[in-house]
Amino acid sequence: MLELTDLSVHYGNVAAVDGVSVTVQAGEIVAIIGPNGAGKTSTLRALSGLVRPSAGRIVFRGVDISRWRAHRIVTLGLSHAPEGRRLFPQMTVLENLRMGAYRRRDGRAIERTLGEVLERFPRLGERRRQLAGTLSGGEQQMLTIGRALMSSPTMLVLDEPSFGLAPLIVREIRTIVESINRDRKVAVLLVEQNARMALAVAARAYVMETGRIVLSGPAAALRESPHVKAAYLGG
Amino acid sequence: MERRAAAPVAGVGLIALAAATLPLITRDSYYLDVATTILMNLTLTMSFRLQVSTGQINMAHISFMGIGAYASALLVTRVGLSFWATLWLGALVAALLAVPIGSVALRVSGPYYFLITFAFSEVVRLFFNNFFEGLFGGPSGLVGIPKPGRLLGLVFDGKPALYGLMAVLCLIVVVALVRLDYSRFGLTAGAIRQADLVAETLGVNVFRYKLTAFVLGSFVAGLAGVFFAHFRQVLHSSDFGLEPMVLLVVFTVIGGTGSVWGPVIGTIVMTLASELLRELHHYEILVFGAVLILTMLFAPEGLVALSGAARRRLRRLRGRAPAQAGAGLAP
Repeated sequence: MLELTDLSVHYGNVAAVDGVSVTVQAGEIVAIIGPNGAGKTSTLRALSGLVRPSAGRIVFRGVDISRWRAHRIVTLGLSHAPEGRRLFPQMTVLENLRMGAYRRRDGRAIERTLGEVLERFPRLGERRRQLAGTLSGGEQQMLTIGRALMSSPTMLVLDEPSFGLAPLIVREIRTIVESINRDRKVAVLLVEQNARMALAVAARAYVMETGRIVLSGPAAALRESPHVKAAYLGG
Repeated sequence: MERRAAAPVAGVGLIALAAATLPLITRDSYYLDVATTILMNLTLTMSFRLQVSTGQINMAHISFMGIGAYASALLVTRVGLSFWATLWLGALVAALLAVPIGSVALRVSGPYYFLITFAFSEVVRLFFNNFFEGLFGGPSGLVGIPKPGRLLGLVFDGKPALYGLMAVLCLIVVVALVRLDYSRFGLTAGAIRQADLVAETLGVNVFRYKLTAFVLGSFVAGLAGVFFAHFRQVLHSSDFGLEPMVLLVVFTVIGGTGSVWGPVIGTIVMTLASELLRELHHYEILVFGAVLILTMLFAPEGLVALSGAARRRLRRLRGRAPAQAGAGLAP
């Protein structure tokens, strides 16, 4: 479904991503883990069209989107929940969700998706008229994911969904990701520093360090890898 | 920002009512002059805020007013067209020039955009001042611009008639811009202002949106410029220089850029204030500067947000609701 081949991203002369290859099959949950500054977010920025890759290809559902501008990519069914819970803080919860369906024109289907999203996140329903900037961290993360679902995607990209959240909320987010994947057959590409959470939810994972993939394989196998244990799971 | 259907209708109705009753109260030419200026400034600030609503601070906004003004003045005096044709043609010229200029300027954002538009506005001003003196009148200005001609048997030679014309133009602009703000366009513009990259990944063609706001805003500025030319009957390049541009920014920001009603309040309050402060001459701009600083410190969302802020504070004092984080000014 998604294929990144030898992808590189440069900022000036500095390579943030250096020949990375990642694949995600339809309906699969795949994680990319790695420390801060490993190039995970740059990989996603290239994927979403916010930066041009300096080399390599990005193919989504058979279409080469390496040179596409960001606003077109969502029309193929690839949806992003950006890092740092980037919402429209002065808009209500409902307006944020509606912006997620920006590219859709089918009014009744949008209402149906809205109903599903509010059912999945009852707390967003309770706060639908509240300004997004006044939500708690966990609620903001849920709104970010809910907004990404509003485009009715076939693949969801989550950038650091657990960042800065309490363990209990992280567990809740994890359950939600799993249920989205299960109910809607949405493929998920999860980028995380929280390796424990990522390896628990993903079927396969890639370990990224200084712009390269250093390890990859089934999540279960990576959980047993000495390198991953030592570096990411605390021994 | 909750979008209620009643607010736009009530707001526009209030402006229309105020504009219609004024000539019934007074026919004094000074007051009509001030009122006409308020309405003219309102079309400028509202079209400026249309661009601010997508996150651009276009320091060349006043230049498009100038382009409309000079275009109409020349089309009437040199080509012999009727004011009623050049009213729209002048605005169109401003809008057409806005397409290539916006396309270049909007490649950058933030402070760079501010600087690039400022540079452009100086180019325009110097152009009118120093080039084609026979055409633009050079440093001494372009004089002898006729008042609007007859239309449907109406004569536009007196202050009341010109006031009426400006009121009609202004109301057309207000209705159009308010409708736009309460539409999907307004929602999307807000999304761009608050987080443009996120809006882009959600499928918004941010560049095209900004350009649309730029061109539309320039059209309205051009329209105001045409009226200005035939109202004052004299044009000078400094009418479209930095000082009036700064005033335009001050009016808009003091009113509040977060709401479509901000410029309305800011323009009315500040135009009246500037009339009252007229005796201070050059110190007037100092007072405006001080007011701007005070606004930024104590009401960063502008005068329009004061009632909401006061209500929140009152509620907090009574201890009924927990302190709510303010929405803050758009970054």
